[in-house]
Amino acid sequence: MTRVSVVAPSAQLTAFSPKVRIRRGVSVAFMVAALLAIAISMIMLGALIVEIAVDGAARLFTDGAPVGREARGGGILTDLPTPAGIGWMTWALPVAVLLPFIGPRLINALVPGLPQIAERAIGFIVVAPAAIFVHILYVRFESAYYVEYAKAVGIDGASGNIFQVLGEASGFQIVRLLLVGILVPLAIFAAGWFWAHRMRRPSLIIPAIIIAGWVVYLFMDPWFLSSFPSRKPADAGIFSAVTGTLYMMVITVAVAFPLGVGAAIYLEEYAKPNWFSRMIQVNISNLAGVPSIIYGLLGLQVFVRVLEFERSVLAGACTMALLVMPIIIVSAQEALRTVPPSMREAAYAVGATRWQVIRFHVLPYAFGGMLTGNILAMSRAIGETAPLIAIGALTFIAFLADSPTDDFTVLPIQIFNWVARPQAGFHEIAASAIIVLMAILLLMNAAAIIMRQRTRTDW
Amino acid sequence: MARNFFTLMRSSAPTATAVSGANQSGPTTTPPPPPNIKEDADAGVHLDPTLEAVRHEITEELDMALQLRQVSAFYGSFQAIDNMSMPIPRNRVTALIGPSGCGKSTLLRCFNRMNDLIPGARVEGEIEFEGRNLLDPAMDAVEVRRRIGMVFQKPNPFPKSIYENVAFGARINGYSGDMDRLVEESLRRAALWDEVKDELDKSGLALSGGQQQRLCIARAIAVQPEIILMDEPASALDPVATLKIEDLMRELAEEYTIVVVTHNMQQAGRVSDYTAFLLAGEERVGRLVEFGPTQDIFTNPLDQRTEDYITGRYG
Repeated sequence: MTRVSVVAPSAQLTAFSPKVRIRRGVSVAFMVAALLAIAISMIMLGALIVEIAVDGAARLFTDGAPVGREARGGGILTDLPTPAGIGWMTWALPVAVLLPFIGPRLINALVPGLPQIAERAIGFIVVAPAAIFVHILYVRFESAYYVEYAKAVGIDGASGNIFQVLGEASGFQIVRLLLVGILVPLAIFAAGWFWAHRMRRPSLIIPAIIIAGWVVYLFMDPWFLSSFPSRKPADAGIFSAVTGTLYMMVITVAVAFPLGVGAAIYLEEYAKPNWFSRMIQVNISNLAGVPSIIYGLLGLQVFVRVLEFERSVLAGACTMALLVMPIIIVSAQEALRTVPPSMREAAYAVGATRWQVIRFHVLPYAFGGMLTGNILAMSRAIGETAPLIAIGALTFIAFLADSPTDDFTVLPIQIFNWVARPQAGFHEIAASAIIVLMAILLLMNAAAIIMRQRTRTDW
Repeated sequence: MARNFFTLMRSSAPTATAVSGANQSGPTTTPPPPPNIKEDADAGVHLDPTLEAVRHEITEELDMALQLRQVSAFYGSFQAIDNMSMPIPRNRVTALIGPSGCGKSTLLRCFNRMNDLIPGARVEGEIEFEGRNLLDPAMDAVEVRRRIGMVFQKPNPFPKSIYENVAFGARINGYSGDMDRLVEESLRRAALWDEVKDELDKSGLALSGGQQQRLCIARAIAVQPEIILMDEPASALDPVATLKIEDLMRELAEEYTIVVVTHNMQQAGRVSDYTAFLLAGEERVGRLVEFGPTQDIFTNPLDQRTEDYITGRYG
């Protein structure tokens, strides 16, 4: 691009460096792609809207919302396996996250010294079509999947054409196609919005929106979440695994958090710096590095056999609590250390006892950090498989645990079990279960980040 | 007893030693010091530990809020202050002045046992407070801190509402009266009420630096202490806010005993009735050089080093 720059001389100088030239090249390519995307997507989108208006909308209202797998009527896609449409998520996520970071750099490289309003405008011009482009790609993906399926079941003439897909689809599937297909593009659009408004935390917002997209996707197919495991992959679900995971996590938190925080308070606030407290400290750090299977063996002997919890939720939760306790203790100690000494002194100076200082000032201040550490520890526990296998958690549970002493299973074990099976169908639902596990993990991590930032801004 | 102490002349050294060690159980180790007056002060900053501090005659009749006898403070193996003996007169402002590192803040923190909170710190000697040695381990440090309040160098309000900042100390000390009135009264006395009365729910951290420091003073007042210690309370503030704090100190001195550490000579001259000049020798151990009415210290310093310091010849 040849531009006569009338801005600062520094811009003139940098304009000739090879780095900048490369960056400009990249941005030009990006712009061309975006313009192409606009052109194509406008045509596609227009066609889509017409199609829906003419044909799809009728189905949308006549079919009604399905309540289960059986309730889905008509349409060739009825038996389409669940994981359809998951693949695009794997690349849409990095795109959505990276765009707001790359975007401003591209614009700056392209036109240095641009007024902010113009930069915002360009931001929208670039981001909006990018969002639509993602939508189109998603639709293509669903169509391709449909073609593959149609071939498999012997339907002739399946072309993957969007009109044909929509023509064959049930109203429910159209809703899914549109909702999910639009959600992630929306996320990308939001990324542009946040960037354009120079917000600081797009990194948090975008994954949150994408997670919302995943959740919507899965709830659009509630059978998967609300079914027990089955011999047939088409009927198998993760109901008992999800509830087992949540059940175990609640008990793990109830056991590990008070104990861990109490230990941290003792070590930070009360323990004198002698050989005993040093020994405890060193051993906590060591325990954090012990392989989880060892905790499983410990839990097997102590909780399952000696305390006779059997292979219950309680035994699993206690084992998990032991496993994450070092993490909770260390992070709670870190949180306690961030309390400014001046605040402690201020409290002492008005005649507070040590416990009053801790209770009214140190704990409220450090609680956000402790909670963050706790959630991170939980997200470690939620993905652990080995200790639960060691204590003998079951893999096929066709009922819900009523009490903490019932048998249970958790998501990672369910996934492990499905992946280990030879049938391809199980592999597909394992992929879906992984998405659910990942969504739960990301939600927990997002919560941790929010809490950490809350506590920071409060001070 | 306290008044006796003040009627002593600097030259009557043997008596001074006897008095300063009068209530001491052990024998006084300090020998009768030679007069440490201007003619001898050419040796520079090096302090002779055997020398007694110079004291001015005190004419007014005074009660003593605190009486220090041979107070030494250590951080681990490092000695921060050595063998300080001086009184803190009741209902007066006493300023501790001296260059950085001479132990002013350490000394101040001895008065309400704040040094207990620092691992490895210990204080020796005796500080008499209402007939008892407040350094005695049997003495409840929490009670000492309630009755001897403190305002810090950097304003450090709690990250809570203005109301809670003031009410906290009273509440944890079992105050059962009308809390609203106590808060109002404390804020009024700290000359902050008019500025914050409509926003008591606002965070204490939302105030300006000067307001925050007055909030800290209100917080200290709210527990109804007898002595308020101030560790360079105006050093982080602009001149206007400093002036407000100084006016406040003068007003508070009618009801409270105030001990203030300051680097600012003019401030010490403006606000204090009595001044103690501290200096650290080459081995960085702080010692008391001169104590007396501020007027005398500033117009007629008896020790060469004091004169050098207040006229600005030391950094």
